[in-house]
Amino acid sequence: MTFRQNAKRSALAAAAFAALGLAVPAQADGDVTCNAGPQKAWQKMSKLKKKAWLEEWELLKMQVEGDCYEVYARTKEGQSIEAFFHPVTLKKLVVFRRGQEIYRADGFTG
Amino acid sequence: MIGTRRALLWVALAIPAALMIQRFASGEALAMDLYHPSGEMTVRLMILALLPGPLADALGHSRFLCGWLAIRRNFGVAAFLYALLHLVFYVLDMRMIAAMLDEVVIPGIWTGWLALVLMLVPAAISSDRAMRWLGRRWKSWQRLVYPAFLLALIHWLLLDWQWGPALVHLAPLVLAWSLRFALRRPKSPSRSIA
Repeated sequence: MTFRQNAKRSALAAAAFAALGLAVPAQADGDVTCNAGPQKAWQKMSKLKKKAWLEEWELLKMQVEGDCYEVYARTKEGQSIEAFFHPVTLKKLVVFRRGQEIYRADGFTG
Repeated sequence: MIGTRRALLWVALAIPAALMIQRFASGEALAMDLYHPSGEMTVRLMILALLPGPLADALGHSRFLCGWLAIRRNFGVAAFLYALLHLVFYVLDMRMIAAMLDEVVIPGIWTGWLALVLMLVPAAISSDRAMRWLGRRWKSWQRLVYPAFLLALIHWLLLDWQWGPALVHLAPLVLAWSLRFALRRPKSPSRSIA
């Protein structure tokens, strides 16, 4: 096989993989918005610990992401997840697993 | 002399890894927090290994580019080692093999695995001896780095859903290749397959 053919094949393979990868519907977790309003009205982030406990998650990390609370956790099955909570209501809004959305609260569009 | 320089290069290449391991060991960072730095180092080192070829083609073999070409294999091997470190952090984060197997089917995950497997070949044949033994075929095998690189960017994109970083890391290679096609030096045809 010549170099040129080989290069062509690699390029084709890469393009095929790219197409495969990107054929997945976009499930953006980079820009979740919770419409949470001013921070003064937010509940304490530490209250999410109980939420996580109720879900039977192992809590790894909590942080403010945009205007949401974001929780990194492991489910009891060992799945690695990222969950977004509303800072005022502490409602679970959306959950991602490795870039894929696995839960979305009814009516939540942010 | 060359031995000393090479050792210095590897010390420099090892510093980010040492800092990551230190942050993990001290408890300052979770394994999960180190996905990003270790993965980013992998991609950046791949770029350092992939850039000098097209650049030398386009701009001629200046001393600087010749020097860069002479050490590019080190960047390639270092990229692979950072990919392995990335995998170690993944294993430490996931803890259970079953949990890792369970998510292999997720596009953001299998693209990463496949990128690593593709890098395995060029890394395994990176020695002078393998280079001599494989002769002309060595270069074609090394080209597996290109699909590996694209897969690594897709892996990143599918997990983060941020176009910015992926495009920023793709840009230098696209530029270098555009330069290569625009300014290709007819004098050194043998380099055109670099």
